[in-house]
Amino acid sequence: MMSIFPDWIGPVARYMLEVGIANTLKLSAIALVGSSLIGITRGTLLTIRFLPLRADIPAYIEIWRGLPILVTLFIVFFMLPAVSPSLRFDALTAGAIGLILWGSAQVAETTRGAVQSIPREQHEAASALGFGWVGRHSFVIMPQALRRLLPPLVGLLVNIIQNTTIVQVIGAPELLETAERQAERLTFEGDQHAIEIYGAVMAIFFLISFPLTRLAAYLEKRLT
Amino acid sequence: MTALFLLASFLGDVWSFTQENFDELRAGVQRTLTISAIAMAGASVIGLTLGAARAYRIPVVSQVAAVYVEVIRNTPILVQIFMLYFALPEVGIRLEAFTVAWLAVTIWGGAFNTENFRAGFEAVPARYREAGSALGFKGFATFLNIILPIGGRIALPSSINTYISVVKNTSLMYVIAYPEITTVIFGIQALTLETAEAFTVLALTYLIIVWSLSAVIRLLESHLALPETPR
Repeated sequence: MMSIFPDWIGPVARYMLEVGIANTLKLSAIALVGSSLIGITRGTLLTIRFLPLRADIPAYIEIWRGLPILVTLFIVFFMLPAVSPSLRFDALTAGAIGLILWGSAQVAETTRGAVQSIPREQHEAASALGFGWVGRHSFVIMPQALRRLLPPLVGLLVNIIQNTTIVQVIGAPELLETAERQAERLTFEGDQHAIEIYGAVMAIFFLISFPLTRLAAYLEKRLT
Repeated sequence: MTALFLLASFLGDVWSFTQENFDELRAGVQRTLTISAIAMAGASVIGLTLGAARAYRIPVVSQVAAVYVEVIRNTPILVQIFMLYFALPEVGIRLEAFTVAWLAVTIWGGAFNTENFRAGFEAVPARYREAGSALGFKGFATFLNIILPIGGRIALPSSINTYISVVKNTSLMYVIAYPEITTVIFGIQALTLETAEAFTVLALTYLIIVWSLSAVIRLLESHLALPETPR
């Protein structure tokens, strides 16, 4: 088995799998859950006509969707500690925070659209049956809005997984960072394999993303 | 009261940061806008051509375009930049940072635009095409006079999002040290340690560019909207 592959592959693959992919998947999962929870809550609140509750949400959405994720990451990782020493995070945590700020803004915007696309009559019928605001939203509106929300959420997951690579810039050991460390180590030892290593990174991301984009397209057709 | 004073003094710092580094900042913004403009133009050309090839199912071109679109859309752009700048020299292809900067976002935007325009062209109702043939238009004339103006407008909202993402993605050229605005401001704050001021200016710069771009484009969109489209 080992003889088929050149010697350099073993340690490189092990490091990228055990450290890189593990952290990439962990970061993606945290960012997905955080973005969905915060985004769905904020997006639903945005549909309430009572103003003070939602005053800051449009600004939240416009700012974190408008900024490049790299800039958000620099703000979280470099600027916050300069403002207050208690806001110092390690690279992976800062990465998760940056991705959640961006992801939750995306989800909030999509949720607002999904909730508003539910016809008025559904609200009125639920009220007529005696549901209050909370009951109406959790038992009547949300189950219907979630159907419309699912395809964009799968699309968001693809974007989140791909955007975890940006955390490489602040040195968090996700897949791209582990690949770069190994490529540089090999180059330092006089053995250049950057094409194979970055090619493998592309292949891994493709194998994860491609089925998910297909799934998103399928859900889009089925559920809307 | 204290908070207000702190805010005012911070805004003063931000202002003096901008003034002290004005020439460098302006050069950085110019480079950001230059590579964005090249990439938007390039992505439009790629998107229109390959999008039409996909919609008309032109043999070979259509399949090659499909592979291009899927590979680019399903791999992170940062890895694509690494491939172009750090891996290609291994096989003797050495690209300058500027070349990689515009090329990477052009390739990326082109793939997304191919998909945008394909969907737009395919969404043109068959009855319009039939009306075209009834008026005596042949193949390419139908495309130019009917499919392109109508399908292009259907594709407009999604291609707008692609253009905005192209601008935001130019910030990633920081990793190849191409001196666009992110690289410039990162360099300044590393020297002066004015971290808060520097990143505030950086964030404001992108928000101004992205927000004014989307405002201009929304205006364009409402001008070009099809009369039939419910708004």
